[in-house]
Amino acid sequence: MSILNKTRRSFLFKMGAGASAALAATTGMARSEAAASAGNPALKAALLEEEKALRQLHQAYEQAMDKGLHDEVVAMFAPDAEVVFNGGLFKHSQGVSRLYRERFRCGKTGIRMPAAPGFELTAEQQRDSVEVSADRRSAKASFPYSIQVGVPFQTESSLAAMARLHGEGVRTWWEGGIYQVTYRKNAAGRWQISRLAYDTLSRADYRTGKSYAQPIVVERFAVRFPEDQQGPDALLQA
Amino acid sequence: MHRFKYTQLTPEQIGAKLRTVVDTGPRSASSFSAALSGKTLKIVTQDGPTLEYRFAANRRLSVAVGGAKPVSAGYGELTLNQIVFFSHLLPGEQKGYNVFIDQKTNLATVFEVWLSSGIKQNAGRPGEFTLDDREVQRQIYFGYVDTGAQAPAKLHHYTNRMTGKGLHWKQDNGIETLELYVSVANTNFVELTRHVDDLSYVSPSDYVLVDDRTVIYNRTECEFSGIHTCFVADLYGVKQVGVRFGFNDKDELEYYLFKGDGQVVGQIAYLENFDDHGIKPMFAAAPAAPPTAPGATPAAAAAPQAPVKGARVTYRPVRTFPHMSDAEMHEAALKRTSAFGSGAAAQAPPQAQGLGTGNNLPFSDILVGKEFTLRFDHGPVRDYKVGDRTKLQYRNHGDAAWIDAEYRAYEGDDNLAWFSHILADSKPRASVQVAVDFTNGLATSIESHMGTEYYGNETTYRPVFGVVEMPGLEAPLYVRHELTDELVGHCFSWSYSDQTTSMHVYSSPHSMSWVIFTGAQQMGAEWCSPCIYVKLRPGVYIFCQNEEACNGNQMIELLNTKASHDCGFTFNGSARGVSLGVTGAIGRHIGKFDIVDFYGPKKRSA
Repeated sequence: MSILNKTRRSFLFKMGAGASAALAATTGMARSEAAASAGNPALKAALLEEEKALRQLHQAYEQAMDKGLHDEVVAMFAPDAEVVFNGGLFKHSQGVSRLYRERFRCGKTGIRMPAAPGFELTAEQQRDSVEVSADRRSAKASFPYSIQVGVPFQTESSLAAMARLHGEGVRTWWEGGIYQVTYRKNAAGRWQISRLAYDTLSRADYRTGKSYAQPIVVERFAVRFPEDQQGPDALLQA
Repeated sequence: MHRFKYTQLTPEQIGAKLRTVVDTGPRSASSFSAALSGKTLKIVTQDGPTLEYRFAANRRLSVAVGGAKPVSAGYGELTLNQIVFFSHLLPGEQKGYNVFIDQKTNLATVFEVWLSSGIKQNAGRPGEFTLDDREVQRQIYFGYVDTGAQAPAKLHHYTNRMTGKGLHWKQDNGIETLELYVSVANTNFVELTRHVDDLSYVSPSDYVLVDDRTVIYNRTECEFSGIHTCFVADLYGVKQVGVRFGFNDKDELEYYLFKGDGQVVGQIAYLENFDDHGIKPMFAAAPAAPPTAPGATPAAAAAPQAPVKGARVTYRPVRTFPHMSDAEMHEAALKRTSAFGSGAAAQAPPQAQGLGTGNNLPFSDILVGKEFTLRFDHGPVRDYKVGDRTKLQYRNHGDAAWIDAEYRAYEGDDNLAWFSHILADSKPRASVQVAVDFTNGLATSIESHMGTEYYGNETTYRPVFGVVEMPGLEAPLYVRHELTDELVGHCFSWSYSDQTTSMHVYSSPHSMSWVIFTGAQQMGAEWCSPCIYVKLRPGVYIFCQNEEACNGNQMIELLNTKASHDCGFTFNGSARGVSLGVTGAIGRHIGKFDIVDFYGPKKRSA
């Protein structure tokens, strides 16, 4: 399902079943933008353009993650950005780079997957939204995700070493949840991610093609960088 | 070949020997063909050079590579059905070409082969090393003969159509091999005439589909002599023509063409999706970075990139296997000898103990409350007294004092105990893995200890056969468990957990290989080791291997083929000490090769 389709459905869902055909023409329009642009068609158009740009940025983020282009992903973040993942806070360029270039790359994390059978997000959970501030300098958004997450086998066995030869040797599972994202424009007027939180709703022991899935528990980060060389800069309370 | 001492030939030594055959071209026991004599050809390759050939009448050719000035060399040529194959070297270089042309379609597959490559592995990362100069490199180019017509839309391509096949080949020079193509990227092969030990080895391979009956194949004996074998096979007639190129274990240059006749010895299942035809070579996947231990300097993870020239899926374990002397190993063992972990983890059921044990059988209390003596022929005699599920007492028969030991036991078949423990204060550190058949009064022990003549941190094992003596059980005088070849040819996948599966290929009476699956269940990376098989009962066996010249680890499993389950133990040592652990897996029978009759002592010419 495309982003646009999701947007249309989520907007109509938000507006209720009685939403008119006329309202449907404003699909994608967020709450803040609606308030700020009331009576100001130029601002309304500008905000819609910003929202479109942010959706494209997020689409680019997901595509880069799917293809393992972690350098491109890191370049989308502001220098002082933060990422929250599995109870860990990765701060600033170094922390974000550590998470994406090292941890996610080794763990083949971020590859898009269909939801594990029986673990599909609800319609409510699949709703995305983008709210652009009236000054068009910052924005908040939420987008659903359904991805593969993994960690390399922590073993020196020959099986693991051989699996690494063909890019495997990683324990993977499925995660679904919501990206909670904050954006900010830099001095050049380019949107950057200033904060991204993986709000994980469910995890399952599942690979594409498997006929069933079982829920799993993944331990939250317990060791910070540098003790864990791929660990977070800070630990967050559950 | 793990134990052969190959000379580190220098580029100068290699170059000097190559110069002796550049002009003559390869030899052949069969008569050369002359299909190309007097012809000119222009071969255009995808992502590779254009090769412009002019063939003279006296097995001489001139070739212009990539538009460069033509050079002359000797060549050899053989044909198989519509395929014409020729091979030559280039003067002044350590490089040559093996070329297969389909005369019906004008499609061509070109192998560029070269030595003294200087290729670095793990470049810029810990464990960087340079490949041996004697290791033949290959790069495959797909292309066509330019006839002036429109370029063909489809070329030859990689394939998984050979996967799972086994063939016996006999060449025109008398050389016989068994070749089990159980991976899309490797071959498990046995030299039936070159070697006397009936051991199987693994080398990286490529498989190229020409048409539904014709396949091009190669293997390079990486980490061994580095020699290269490349041929085209007709699977209808089961015939081959090809080339052998490189240096053998005596440092002799072999460069000859061959013809051969084959026999299909079996076909095991290959498990990827039915619409996966293996068109993308496995080496195209970027190798994953090894895990980073907390606190260690992380290895830079490899970003996705196009495979480098010559890339292949080659396991080179001995490159990172540290050498320890016997004394160093024992010193480490004195600091730490661990049986089944420690603390709460040691008490946990095997299913809770990690990647290698998630599908293990549960531990058993089959020994609890028993007292018995194991009397092995010409070997140890040990008394046992077992109080609970994890602790036993043993002593050498006749000793007064009992020795406490941590142990784990399974019931591998009805009333058949399978247990292991460390031999206390042993030097070198030793352990036993013991099968006790309380129905038939038989016992077998795998007596394991640290150290081989090559490494202090490799394991050694030997089986001893005997009986169990206890009240109410009659011990046989003559019947014993015994070594067996009943498993030879069988292939089982073993899933140690839902994340870890390896296929065992029981490829000879004294050796095996194991294959790792990709996420798409393609059979990929592969390696091999010596092993033994002991028959305990119909369908129940001990399988024991030491990953020699690899990581030195020993795996000692009881295989119950009736239940398609195995359970057992691991024994290994390193600078961190000696460890006895548990392992076990769910099995699937993947198929069988009919190869057992090829083994055993043979009459050989003097």
